[in-house]
Amino acid sequence: MIRMEIALFLILAMVAAFYFSTPRIHSPLHETFSILLVAVLFHLVLDTITVFTVNNLDLVPVFLNDTIHRLFIGTLIIVEYLFYQYMSNLIQEDAGQLTFLDHIARFFLIIFETGVLTLPIHYAVTPEGNYSDGIHANLCYIGVAFYITLCIWMLIRHHKKIRLIAGSTITAALLIEIIVCIIQGLHPSWLISGMGITLVTMTFYLILENPDKLRAELIEQKMSMLYLKSQVNPHFLYNTLDSIRIQAQLDGDEKVAHLLMRLVDFFRLNIRSDQQMVTLDHEMELIDAYMELMCTRYPSITYISECPEELLDYVVPNFILQPLVENSLLHGLKNKGYEGTVKVAVEQIDEIRMEIRIEDTGTGFTDEVRQKINGSLLLWKKQSEKTEGNHIGISNVQRRIHLLCGSEYGLSYSENEDGGVIAHIILPLTMEEL
Amino acid sequence: MKLRVLLVDDEIMIREGFKKLFDWQGHDCQVIDEAADGAQALNKIDCLVPDLVIMDINIPIMNGLKVIQQAKAKYPDMAFIIVSGYDDFAWCREALRLQITDYILKPVDYEEFGQCIDRLKISLFENRISHHETATGEPRPILKITSYLQDHLSEEISLSLLSQQFHLNPQYISQLFRSEIGVNFLTYLTDIRLEHAKKLLISTDLSITDIAMESGYSDYRVFTKVFKKSEGITPSRYRHEFSHPLEHQK
Repeated sequence: MIRMEIALFLILAMVAAFYFSTPRIHSPLHETFSILLVAVLFHLVLDTITVFTVNNLDLVPVFLNDTIHRLFIGTLIIVEYLFYQYMSNLIQEDAGQLTFLDHIARFFLIIFETGVLTLPIHYAVTPEGNYSDGIHANLCYIGVAFYITLCIWMLIRHHKKIRLIAGSTITAALLIEIIVCIIQGLHPSWLISGMGITLVTMTFYLILENPDKLRAELIEQKMSMLYLKSQVNPHFLYNTLDSIRIQAQLDGDEKVAHLLMRLVDFFRLNIRSDQQMVTLDHEMELIDAYMELMCTRYPSITYISECPEELLDYVVPNFILQPLVENSLLHGLKNKGYEGTVKVAVEQIDEIRMEIRIEDTGTGFTDEVRQKINGSLLLWKKQSEKTEGNHIGISNVQRRIHLLCGSEYGLSYSENEDGGVIAHIILPLTMEEL
Repeated sequence: MKLRVLLVDDEIMIREGFKKLFDWQGHDCQVIDEAADGAQALNKIDCLVPDLVIMDINIPIMNGLKVIQQAKAKYPDMAFIIVSGYDDFAWCREALRLQITDYILKPVDYEEFGQCIDRLKISLFENRISHHETATGEPRPILKITSYLQDHLSEEISLSLLSQQFHLNPQYISQLFRSEIGVNFLTYLTDIRLEHAKKLLISTDLSITDIAMESGYSDYRVFTKVFKKSEGITPSRYRHEFSHPLEHQK
């Protein structure tokens, strides 16, 4: 038996090492699990020692035997309480506050612990092995049954409000506990409580606390914080920019006033990001505003746009031009000291297709970049989030065109004779349906 | 006829900008007073009875839409132009229900605002003629000219052509438009052409090219350009947005 307890301890020690080395968000659930892991490890140590002492009553002095036994049962009740607390936290995440039950659980924890530390212990000696019985052992059984009952009650009351994963985790853990309790009740000398506790802890770990899960939560939290950061009230922005613009105009600075106006145009057009398809007109206006602002920052850049009026009403996937134009600026023209030309030209190819070309007179591709880009355009489906910066932009554009228009349309690159790059976007001539 | 204007906005900078940066004189308007909140606005509307109120929506004490509602109940002919930072469909709809003249977005492009004022002048003029139509016997020259324009929208029209038609000096006709309507001849002509086009876009299934022709634009491209400059959207977009208003109440 001692060997099993040692094995269980080693397994959980490994789990704890994984767990504590993984960065995670701070939530009551994870805090509880951290405490639980430590408590279970302690408990398993005491469990191992107890298995030895209880079976060697003649070797170990009674006082030492009793003390170790009290600590063993004491940590067992604490672990059961932590199981309850963990499930309670899990349910609270979905169903809200349950503080009333938590108070009851904590109150009874004190009562049980007092009993465990003070009640007399009696050992049953049997040919299969020794164990404790009598009032002390019964208190322990009552304690375990009490917390299991609390958990079952909590689960039944809130099962409609909680996620499937939380519900099934709790159900699995409770089933393990109940089965182990029954076996332990039938065969007290088997001493399998440590196994039951390890199995429940492993259930929590495998389903809710494993490194993948923790990392995903962390990323999600970071993303939602970024999202919140980006949620500056747009009216604050417009109104402030407007006040600054008026001040500039009152001071006679028409140029600054005009640029502020264009900046607001850009933001306003950008805000319609909830639409999947927008008119080409919308995309071109966005690029016009963007490029006018960029050309002010980099006066040696020239911007040309050519788009036949009759194509303006066709719809295109939202926000496909800006990432590509930005690429032309940041990768093509940057290395030439932001000097050169960016041209956006739209042309009808035939009855059903148009082509948008984004040309720059920049430095062009190195062989390595060309390969990477062609790769990310062809293999966008296999792209992971790891791909660096600008290739995400390109493959994202490609992906949205394929999904929204069909895979016969899309983005490709060719090179200018003078060294620059041309992005070709082939799109269907679709009018928005009413 | 000089338009008397009341400016309502809670930000002093916006009001100052409006007062100093827009060419009121050139558009035959005069800012007679300003207000910084809803109560002040209602009070001044009662005292001064302006012809036009420039109204921000998000103002203290009482919001701009409520002010308009109460003022409209007393002065149904008073014109309102909403100037708001809120590009919000629900508010636009409510504003349209109140039959305001226009809804323009902050930051205000003063050129666009000028077009707004011109449009208002033209509609005020049209209201005046429909009220007085039956009253007098011989129509005034400006009425003869404007009704001729309405009947010949699809044709090419110029000041010299009008002067031949009515045996009037071109300068005199131009002067007539300025004094009677408050806008110049070309602005008026473009406006009624586009109004006609808008009506056709919403109420008929004619192609955009045909509508351009009907409205006096032989070149589809020129029509689209002019239309977009005035309305901010292309003709077919306009048709899409406004021809099925019920489906659009999302």
